[in-house]
Amino acid sequence: MTAVDSSAPATAAERLAAFADALDDCHERAVPGGVVVSRAGWAVASARRLGTGVPVPDGSGVLAARHGLRASGSEALGAFRGALLELHRRTLRDVLDAAVARLDQRESEGSPLLGRQLVRGSVADVALALSQARDVLRLPRPTASRHHRVHRELVDAGRTALKLYGAFGFTAEGPGGLLHLTELLGDTYLCPEDPEAEAGHE
Amino acid sequence: MSELLPERAVLLRDHVRDAATGLRDIGMEIDRDPTAIDRRLHLPAVALMRGCTVPVEYVSSPLRIGPYTYDMSSCLEHTLTIEELSYGDAGFMLACPGPLMSGVAVGALGDDKQRHAYYQRLAGPDPVWTFFGLTEPGKGSAAAELETTLTPDGDGFRLDGAKRYVGNAAYAQLGVVFCRRAPGPLGIEAVLVDTAEPGFRAEPIPTVGMRGARISAITLDHVRVEREQILGYDTLKPSRRGLVGAIRTLQRFRPVLAGTALGLTRAVLDHVRAERPALAGSARRLLEDLQDRLDATRWHNHAVASAIDAGEVRADRIAAVKTRAAELAERATLAAAGLLGPAALLRDPWLHKVYRDARAFEFMEGTGHIQRLAVFQGVAKGTFLR
Repeated sequence: MTAVDSSAPATAAERLAAFADALDDCHERAVPGGVVVSRAGWAVASARRLGTGVPVPDGSGVLAARHGLRASGSEALGAFRGALLELHRRTLRDVLDAAVARLDQRESEGSPLLGRQLVRGSVADVALALSQARDVLRLPRPTASRHHRVHRELVDAGRTALKLYGAFGFTAEGPGGLLHLTELLGDTYLCPEDPEAEAGHE
Repeated sequence: MSELLPERAVLLRDHVRDAATGLRDIGMEIDRDPTAIDRRLHLPAVALMRGCTVPVEYVSSPLRIGPYTYDMSSCLEHTLTIEELSYGDAGFMLACPGPLMSGVAVGALGDDKQRHAYYQRLAGPDPVWTFFGLTEPGKGSAAAELETTLTPDGDGFRLDGAKRYVGNAAYAQLGVVFCRRAPGPLGIEAVLVDTAEPGFRAEPIPTVGMRGARISAITLDHVRVEREQILGYDTLKPSRRGLVGAIRTLQRFRPVLAGTALGLTRAVLDHVRAERPALAGSARRLLEDLQDRLDATRWHNHAVASAIDAGEVRADRIAAVKTRAAELAERATLAAAGLLGPAALLRDPWLHKVYRDARAFEFMEGTGHIQRLAVFQGVAKGTFLR
């Protein structure tokens, strides 16, 4: 059984604050002291780091977005994309671990839900996607296209993981809010400029 | 494929389509403030929702189109109505007053007196919001395992327990609560509860999307229940009451919910076409694939709803079409974000809203895991793919 880190943030607000800090770390690794701006001129970071900007919907005021900035250079963008995907992967890993612990506690017809084959299959699917993403991200010569593919696979795996929570996965208090932010960040920084070139992967 | 619909259904669909025009901005407002529906109660779309499943004899001006009169007691007509309103805005539709699922439960289980009282109240001049309280914190929507108790108390009963993820409960005046009067599946009852009763408390649960559904948590603490509030208590055998009513209501409502997901999906695909009329290559093929899936699932949903109207309730097919519709809505919104280019979710607030809303369908009226079990049962019995 996977142990859940007891030092992990307990409340939704704490989880969001920790996520914002981790996002700022991604910016710091790519542009020390600054923020990375997407090719389309968008930047998303903690409101504290960004300074000015509009609140990100569902970021509860912790995250902010700005548009109209000059795009960061390729090197910074590449480093940031890799870091962002690592953040997405870590977030999803935490969501999966918490789902396993939760399903082990919840019972139906006298036995833990974690014992159901369908549930075990979904857990394994998410774990396989996490494992695959980790390995792909370790490959040399990362590209924007590869980053986008990994993002989409993590999004799909995230949706699978949320289904393990039932309706709790849709509440603002549950894991759905954080995973939504990872999707929104990918949509901002990892989505290709030319959707026609990438749509064939759907 | 919609051309196969009977004339009265086509007339209804076109009428509702007109009523749904212009709901998007209101849906955005409700997403920011779920009480915004209170300022929109004059709209024709609200009147439609208030009248859904209320028999015509109770309504002062029933819906008449051409030679036909409608009360949406037909699952197909109910489904078409909800699909068109959801094309306008699913959150708006769910925030409306009216019977929604509780009406189906009362229709299925209530005796004449109970139905009469319920419909009279719903058809009155003041808007009435209702709820369907089945899901519990510990057991989800596993109706056979619910733990809310109905205990004899003097000449009546008292209701104790908790319900969670119940649409509109924090704003409702009336609702159906499923509870346990005795051990075992025959010990489950459905009771009609007035939210003004002492001991009833409900509060909204903040969600990622579909905020118009006004998902709520209910606490029941010694809520007084008279014998007359137990649906079908004096007219139906225990084997035909509570649990059967829950299952029957869920099955009758799943094509309606599928219609909600399909209305949203259609809106999303039309939005992509409007924003990117010149999509080409693989992007265009992706859009065409989604449109094919939508057309096929809509046709199938209408067939399932028509079968229910004809008395043929096939749990496996109902589960399958709900799952397909819910998954398609998620798939279409994910694809739309990609097709509209980088930062579409930040640039396009309406897309961002439906992107979040689409995730609600997975857990409404039974999760994908539960539906898959029903599909499996159909495969095992040899009925599903026949």
